Amino acid sequence: MLNAEKLEILTESAKYDVSCSSSGSNRVNGHGGLGNASVGGICHSFTPDGRCISLLKILMSNECVFDCEYCPNRRNADVRRASITPEEICELVMGFYKRNYIEGLFLSSAVFKSPDATMELLCETVRKLRQEYKFNGYIHLKGIPHADEALVFKAAKLVDRMSYNVELPSERSLKMLAPQKTKSSLLLPMKDLRDAIIYDKENKVRRNRTLPAGQTTQMIIGASSETDGQILKLSEALYRSMNLRRVYYSSYIPVVQSEKLPAVGAGLLREHRLYQADWLIRYYGFDVDEIVGEGENLSPEYDPKCAWALRNMHLFPVEINKVPLNVLLRVPGIGAKSAYKIIEARRFAPLDFDNLAKMRVVLKRARHFITCKGKFYGSEGLTQIRTSLLLAGQSEVSEQMSMFSESSVALSALTGEV
Amino acid sequence: MKVFICNGTPQCFFTAVFDAYRETECIISSASVQIPLGGTVETVFADLEKSRRVQAKINAYDGEAVDDISLVLRSCSPLKEQVAFEYIKEIMRRKTAVKKAFNLPQVVDFNDLLYKITGETHQFKGFIRFMECANGVLYAPYSPDNNITDLLMPHFAARLGELKFVIHDVKRGIAGIHNGKEWILGYAGATEIMLSDDERGFGTLWKKYYKSVNVSERPHERQMKRSMPVRYWKFLPEKQN
Ligand code: SF4
Repeated sequence: MLNAEKLEILTESAKYDVSCSSSGSNRVNGHGGLGNASVGGICHSFTPDGRCISLLKILMSNECVFDCEYCPNRRNADVRRASITPEEICELVMGFYKRNYIEGLFLSSAVFKSPDATMELLCETVRKLRQEYKFNGYIHLKGIPHADEALVFKAAKLVDRMSYNVELPSERSLKMLAPQKTKSSLLLPMKDLRDAIIYDKENKVRRNRTLPAGQTTQMIIGASSETDGQILKLSEALYRSMNLRRVYYSSYIPVVQSEKLPAVGAGLLREHRLYQADWLIRYYGFDVDEIVGEGENLSPEYDPKCAWALRNMHLFPVEINKVPLNVLLRVPGIGAKSAYKIIEARRFAPLDFDNLAKMRVVLKRARHFITCKGKFYGSEGLTQIRTSLLLAGQSEVSEQMSMFSESSVALSALTGEV
Repeated sequence: MKVFICNGTPQCFFTAVFDAYRETECIISSASVQIPLGGTVETVFADLEKSRRVQAKINAYDGEAVDDISLVLRSCSPLKEQVAFEYIKEIMRRKTAVKKAFNLPQVVDFNDLLYKITGETHQFKGFIRFMECANGVLYAPYSPDNNITDLLMPHFAARLGELKFVIHDVKRGIAGIHNGKEWILGYAGATEIMLSDDERGFGTLWKKYYKSVNVSERPHERQMKRSMPVRYWKFLPEKQN
């Protein structure tokens, strides 16, 4: 059985990667096999940092020939090093999965020897797991930049999701902080995989479909000087051109001392605001330009939807019993779940303020932006509204701020909330 | 005021609905209830014909309601029968499905119980922990709030394929047993098990993993406890010392 110290080293090296959800795939179990995937994803445990454990997140090796400034495992760093073999990984995954500790594997690696050698071993590991161990649970594999594309395609046929992390929000920062990872070494494979996914979809490929759960990426926030506006523009472009399922933001934690890096981390609040804005872009029909200007940062005081509404008071209040879904979704404080409830319930009878409260629609913010049967329940005057929203925001920020709120996402998927 | 006492099974409940329907004021319950002053008690015995007729009537207006009601009847709430009864009355009154009439208090109460059942079932797809016995059988004791063992069985049967496993609700004494091909539900009391040689080793590795993957610079215990309530910890090896 695997040595516990190795597991410790290789987990600690992998733990800052935040793209650990197990959603998006519906892989089924085969004859004599173990495992399947659940579309909505399943959380198996929660750690004291509030994050969900879904996948066994581990590096194959933390011995690296690259030299990324922010990384504790970079080439010349003085840290404990370890590697594990494909067999060791397979046995660990099977043992954990069988006991229902995990939903699957998130496998990544530092670049040992060369990108090709690393990708080859990752590929061999997932091949073994799928073909010899007949494992049909979820696998997320991290792509190695500069690796041979044939290896990448081969791996993509075996796993559910892959991610090439863009790491930093601009090419300039990438050059400065991760010199061996070029823009093209990250974006080209992403593009190739996008094309392979589209090809399989168009040709209705059913067996060994390329990446049924698609691609994601991750970037570090606050290690370099980009604004939230630039960051979100990049995300928007990635969603549109690469069909990414998800962009993850990881606020910088100073684990490495360097002149090129800030001495303090970017707070959780910034990360939280970026996730909120990202959500507005993906699900609520907002453009980045509506939320934040290119050279600006998101407001720390108000959530992005509130901030937008305050700039657009001429559009409010809206009548809760009349406006279509897309308008309802733009009301501060009304999320997808509440909007859905309102749309359905108002078919039965027009709703008043009291009805909304009983339906557990949170009205702290929304009341300033809606009317119910023509009646307004908010504060008069912009100053009062601002104050009231600020207060609502303060209690919420400390409440809601979870690192990556993956669990709430999974939970809303299961209750059928839109 | 009449109080109809049933035995907790869906058949008995639907029979009670049949009998109670004409009463203007009544309560249906399987829990021990405080009998209101001047109230009378009627013990209900399941009557398949009455039960069938009630279900057919509900089905005529809403094809999903009977399934939803069966789910709600698994709740640990002492009010479950009454909540389900009020929900049925609402369907009958409006002669249509009311599931999405989120403005009606009866529907709010009903959906609350329903989401607790489906929510807990989903959570336990993650929180179930199997131990490997010496004979290879996987054994998972647990103690859910609601009676959900048979709702979990299809999920694990699909997932674990040919492996044999038991999911044991130790509070209710109910066990789902899978023999590698099919599963049944049965009653089971206290059990003694012999663990496999590997069991301790994997348990230790899992605890090590749990500890290592935590980002200790960013504690957020409240979030952890909200997502994974403390009452569930008893059967999670990573939460044992
Ligand atoms: S490639 Fe960069 S980020 Fe990855 S392990 Fe090596 S140094 Fe660290």
